[in-house]
Amino acid sequence: MPEELQKDPVSRGEFLVMGTLGTLIGAVLTIPPLVFMLDPIIKSEILDQSDIPEDEWIELGSVFEIPQGAPVTYRVEFPQIQSYVLEKEDEKKKQEGKAGSIVEAALVTWQDGEIPDILRNRGEGRLSEAEIEELTPKLNIVNNHCTHLGCPVRWIEEKREILCPCHGGIYDLNGYVIGGPPPRGLYRYAFEIRQNGGIYVRHEFDGNPYVI
Amino acid sequence: MISRIRARTLDLGQTTVDWMEERTGLVSLLEHFLYEPVPAKGKWLYSLGSATLFLITLQFLTGILLLFYYVPTTTEAWDSIYFMMTDVYFGPLIRGIHFWSANILVVVIGLHMLRTFFSGAYKAPREMNWVIGVALIFLVTVLAFTGYALRWDAEGFWAWEVGIKIGSYTPFVGNYMAAFLIGGDTVGPATLSRVFAIHVWLLPAALAPLIGIHLYLLRKHGEFGTEFEYTRRLAELRERQQIEEYSAFLEEEYMEEDGFSRGDGSSRGE
Repeated sequence: MPEELQKDPVSRGEFLVMGTLGTLIGAVLTIPPLVFMLDPIIKSEILDQSDIPEDEWIELGSVFEIPQGAPVTYRVEFPQIQSYVLEKEDEKKKQEGKAGSIVEAALVTWQDGEIPDILRNRGEGRLSEAEIEELTPKLNIVNNHCTHLGCPVRWIEEKREILCPCHGGIYDLNGYVIGGPPPRGLYRYAFEIRQNGGIYVRHEFDGNPYVI
Repeated sequence: MISRIRARTLDLGQTTVDWMEERTGLVSLLEHFLYEPVPAKGKWLYSLGSATLFLITLQFLTGILLLFYYVPTTTEAWDSIYFMMTDVYFGPLIRGIHFWSANILVVVIGLHMLRTFFSGAYKAPREMNWVIGVALIFLVTVLAFTGYALRWDAEGFWAWEVGIKIGSYTPFVGNYMAAFLIGGDTVGPATLSRVFAIHVWLLPAALAPLIGIHLYLLRKHGEFGTEFEYTRRLAELRERQQIEEYSAFLEEEYMEEDGFSRGDGSSRGE
């Protein structure tokens, strides 16, 4: 009989005490290291915090620079607070050229490559509220990370398409996917057009969750 | 004169070895660890496991050396490797060994797995060793991949980014997986720290005990189809073949000559 083999019989009370103590000690030993390691998941996925300060608007360029039928690629650098790059030291580190930042590329085009009529033969004067409202839906500002596996995409003039070098993802001028493995179009920046014609972007994208 | 010296040295050696053996059992231990009978068929293919072990040891040793110069920060990682490759004596050699033996390791471990598969060495009672081997091959793959990213050059950086993106397609936990591997919501200094921790501490610490268990199980069961097993099986097979051939022969005879007992023949073969 199995119970006869047990050398050290355990009473019900002892079993309960040992079980409770064991669970407690186990929890104390495992939960802190796990949470320590999973800190970024809690912060960025559950609490929805970002490494990039939210109110940071970065100027790309001007709406008057965007040509007919081709994108302009801007290099955009966002401040980044992560790991040993701390917020309170940011100003000092910035001066030393050590502040954290992340560099991305943004491709800016007019919808279908057509310059809006109100900008034709207009000159570069200040934009009115009404003009800004009309221009905003006609502007595409997309991130250069392919939505398939994150490789950097490029505009290829001869093909008149945006191509990904890794697995052949193809996007049209607007950043919509037209071929290859990408599951969706390129990620779009949250942006605003200001009265002097400046295009400002924030590190925030349509269709969250955005990965990379 | 010379022969006397030789005899004395041999004696001395013998005494030392005996002394050690009596006190620590070192000699028989070494004997036990270094010698393992393998099937005559296959011969050198059975050295692939030892080759894997050798290459992993080489990884540990050269990896420790690389840590003397490597700096795991986004701004200095590449520069520290560049410094190692240009200014440090034997830098290219040590890093070259780490790099190339890592590449060869992935190949050799694959061949080792193929050999195990085709020689049927995963069969009872060795299933657990196969399972642990699969865990090991997985760990080595992740080690190779994280090592790639540690260089923080364009190639390694984009490979890691693609790797994170692949991880992000995991059902249900994809985004959590990506956040864990990135160390935030954008690739940055925390990402490299994580890759470093995983490559240098987490995975080697998981790898070492698993290798220990892998070797222990090999010693426990021995190589599948070792000389003894193999010859016994072959003898049995030959016997069976002989019986079959003989009974087939008898059957033919039986067809020709009536009255020849079939049962007689098979009982003689047994």
